[in-house]
Amino acid sequence: MTDQEILARWKEEPAPLLPVLHAFHARDGYLSEDAIRAVSKGLRIPLADLYGTITFYHHFARVPGGLGCPRVCTGPVCVQEGALDILAELAPEGATGMPCSGRCDDPVPVLRGHLTLAGRSAADLVARPAPLPPPAPEGAAECVFRTIREPGHATLAGYRRDGGYEGLARAVREMTPVQVVEAIDRSGLAGRGGAGFPTGRKWRAVAEADGTPKSIVCNADEGEPGCFKDRALMDYDPHAVIEGMIASGYATGAHRGFIYLRYEYPETEDILAEAIREAAEAGILGPSVMGSGFAFDLHIRRGAGAYICGEETSLLNSMEGKHPFPRNRPPFPVTHGFENLPTVVNNVETLASVPHILALGAEWYAGLGMNGHAGTKVISLSGDILRPGNYEVPMGLPLERLLYDWAGGPLEGRTIQAVTMAGLSGGFLAGDDLFVTLDEPAIRARKSFLGAGGIMVFDDSRDMVEVAHAAMEFFAHESCGKCFPCRIGTQRLTERLAGEAGPDAVVAWVDEVADIGYTMKETSACGLGTAAPLITESLMRYFPDAVSRHVTGHGALPMAGPRGTEP
Amino acid sequence: MSTNGTRPTIVLDGEKVAFTPGETVYEAATRHGKDIPTLCYDPRLEPFGGCRLCVVEIEGARTPVASCTAQCQSGMDVRTRSARVEVHRRTLMEMLASENREVEVDELTSLASQEMTELVDRYEARTGRFEGRQSGASRPDDPNPFIMRDYDNCISCYRCVRVCAEQEGDYAISVKGRGFDTQITVEFDGHLKESACTFCGQCVQTCPTGALGDLKALAHREVEGETKKTRTVCPYCGVGCSVDLLTRGNQLIGVQPAMDGPANLGALCVKGQFAFDFIQHPDRLAHPLVRGEDGELHEAGWDEALDRAAEGFLRVRERYGRHSVYGVASGRAPHEAAYTMQKFIRGGFGTNYIDNCSRA
Ligand SMILES: Cc1cc2nc3c(=O)[nH]c(=O)nc-3n(C[C@H](O)[C@H](O)[C@H](O)COP(=O)(O)O)c2cc1C
Ligand code: SF4
Ligand code: SF4
Ligand code: SF4
Ligand code: FES
Ligand code: FES
Repeated sequence: MTDQEILARWKEEPAPLLPVLHAFHARDGYLSEDAIRAVSKGLRIPLADLYGTITFYHHFARVPGGLGCPRVCTGPVCVQEGALDILAELAPEGATGMPCSGRCDDPVPVLRGHLTLAGRSAADLVARPAPLPPPAPEGAAECVFRTIREPGHATLAGYRRDGGYEGLARAVREMTPVQVVEAIDRSGLAGRGGAGFPTGRKWRAVAEADGTPKSIVCNADEGEPGCFKDRALMDYDPHAVIEGMIASGYATGAHRGFIYLRYEYPETEDILAEAIREAAEAGILGPSVMGSGFAFDLHIRRGAGAYICGEETSLLNSMEGKHPFPRNRPPFPVTHGFENLPTVVNNVETLASVPHILALGAEWYAGLGMNGHAGTKVISLSGDILRPGNYEVPMGLPLERLLYDWAGGPLEGRTIQAVTMAGLSGGFLAGDDLFVTLDEPAIRARKSFLGAGGIMVFDDSRDMVEVAHAAMEFFAHESCGKCFPCRIGTQRLTERLAGEAGPDAVVAWVDEVADIGYTMKETSACGLGTAAPLITESLMRYFPDAVSRHVTGHGALPMAGPRGTEP
Repeated sequence: MSTNGTRPTIVLDGEKVAFTPGETVYEAATRHGKDIPTLCYDPRLEPFGGCRLCVVEIEGARTPVASCTAQCQSGMDVRTRSARVEVHRRTLMEMLASENREVEVDELTSLASQEMTELVDRYEARTGRFEGRQSGASRPDDPNPFIMRDYDNCISCYRCVRVCAEQEGDYAISVKGRGFDTQITVEFDGHLKESACTFCGQCVQTCPTGALGDLKALAHREVEGETKKTRTVCPYCGVGCSVDLLTRGNQLIGVQPAMDGPANLGALCVKGQFAFDFIQHPDRLAHPLVRGEDGELHEAGWDEALDRAAEGFLRVRERYGRHSVYGVASGRAPHEAAYTMQKFIRGGFGTNYIDNCSRA
């Protein structure tokens, strides 16, 4: 396609910048100066502004052939599984690292252009589908994984065979939008993307907000290290996401939807595109959803490698083609979202729960939890554990049962030293706190949070200071640079965990690290900066001896080897 | 304002004060004499919420709130200087001091250049804590004659980028990269001259650390004497931007925009900001010149020169009438001279054929 053809293809569509950039990127193998000038002119974005915005994203290559160079996951699980060796072996091909790319249950993912390979060594790399969730242990009742393992479920025919789109059909034909909101409200469904905001309340706020057109945005950025549940849902149950989005549109009066998909899931983009095509062909998407007269269109917008773009207001800026700094709140997206109009932003898992709730009832969903907690939560479990994978747990399940009974416990001869919560954002739990139950109040009482449900396991062979260093390096790499406490704080904490800077007396070191953390937690402008210091806080709480060995410069454990080998 | 005529109120450090709906906590507090520290704030721009120094405690909020972006709500109980927020401000200032090459910069660097230094002093933040890598890479290679780009002293407040976009509408500069590696840049890391920059100097004057500097003013760093500021109006065009002329002794050493100038609110263009070299230029005429019989210009006394000029004007008026004269005052002349000129043309010749090149 010529420059003009690419621009003409997207110019009149909503949120055109990312697709235009991806089209040039794919055509030329990188974003050339000429391409950037053409986009600036075609979309009327000031050149300096566009240049700055492009440099914000990790994956836009700026040198010829850059797109084809392999990107190797160097996330916390993959570095324990041989990622650095793979990176070294692929170095002649121009390989570079990338943060956790959402496949920790099948490491090590390597991106080559529009293809994901995986394997534990460079020689083993193969393109294969990401793992299906393991069978429900102990016959646990599930919501989003209820039908996902049925063969062919990702196709429209398979989805319908398993009862898909029945909930939506009922909703658009027999229920008013207000009744749909009430059903979601009654189910107790809360956001599964991290913040846990009640979904019914969010939808009601958008339904009642003035201003059109409204939008439904499915947050499929899944950038949190150790989280790979949204990928499983989209790969194996794409129609559930679509059904949930249409229902959300119906409930709130929104006629357009966007799936903001992280860059690192190219196959998922194809799967979603195919599902959207099928649904449109069957009259499920389009001018009259299932003959109801309600119109709904769906667009995919692919990110370009920035964890912060999972933060909902940063995501909206990214879609709008602006520099993806988070916005100041209030106002919130429910009134001032995409293009400053009322917008639902919901996580993939949240939206994928909706069809099941509509089909089986709010009371059914609410009843799935334990000890008075509503519903279920998918936990992405990875690291030093016998059976990693996505597990849908009833809210309130003891962590111990998940780790030992469901996932088989630590590897032979090992003990579990610590786990992370909320991917990395919740910091570590260790010691007696490993006996927590998996629900937000219990985990918050231990100064952490469940968040998006990523849990990485580190056994007794791991150097926790090194793990904390890698975690903080991730936050520093992904800090957007908008606010001072996070921009400088993540950097200073990383340097101190690396032993590159900072006092060499334990008391002074702990003072500095605690002071930085306290100010980050209380004054950062978004959740990245407020969460990052949970890493250092929990490290110092559970592993004071390792910290003092690190500071005084002697006795840090040697770096651990790959899974199952002696350090 | 509520219908019964009483204005809504907030409690500010224990004192009940009225606010105007839509006002931010920072604006209301400042109006009531509170000195809340800021570094990313410029009253002319949209509040950004980056520096977090303006955080205050609001009763009921779990953590401190940025006052520049929070709107007043009736009944809010606000503490602007609690121990808790002062601790954060001090830590933030220590962190900032750790990322820059210098805390002290010459006051000629720009209007806002002392903001960071003053806050470092106020919070006694020269502790040397939090040392580590420094941020920003300077561009001494940028060959432009007006703007120093010394990003080793940049704190990523983005006031320059925002003033260029929001105030100037030029969008010449932007933010490259992210996190600790953010860098102010033009497209493709080039020089200002090849960018959309108009050299208005707005970015320089709002930079709170001296990372951007006024090269013209800095060239006069060595001139002896107290710096004096004189308020005047820029003569270059009809907008009438207020400026402060910086002088030492009898020498003009720089121009700064007046933030309270009614026509410009701190904005200037390249001419008003930087084009004052001619005033002290060695080529500038210091004596009248009169053309001699030989066709060349010769230095002359004022009486001789004025007589010659008057003679010529009178001859022209005699022969062609009063409308045969057209006066054009120079934009480089002082306002008083321009005024005298029109008086002279109108009163002396009796014509309205008077103009000023600044009208263009
Ligand atoms: C740094 C950061 C990253 C985030 N990343 C994601 C993400 O990848 N996916 C997601 O659904 N929510 C993410 N969130 C949470 C979103 O801001 C938002 O709360 C969520 O998408 C709302 O959907 P929910 O209510 O269905 O959870 C992130 C938040 C922060 C602060
Ligand atoms: S907390 Fe970090 S990621 Fe969030 S706005 Fe501040 S700098 Fe950006
Ligand atoms: S001098 Fe003016 S136009 Fe140039 S970058 Fe600064 S603010 Fe923008
Ligand atoms: S150059 Fe100055 S105004 Fe611009 S971001 Fe840096 S410190 Fe702020
Ligand atoms: S996929 Fe590599 S750490 Fe998650
Ligand atoms: S002035 Fe409020 S955050 Fe900078």
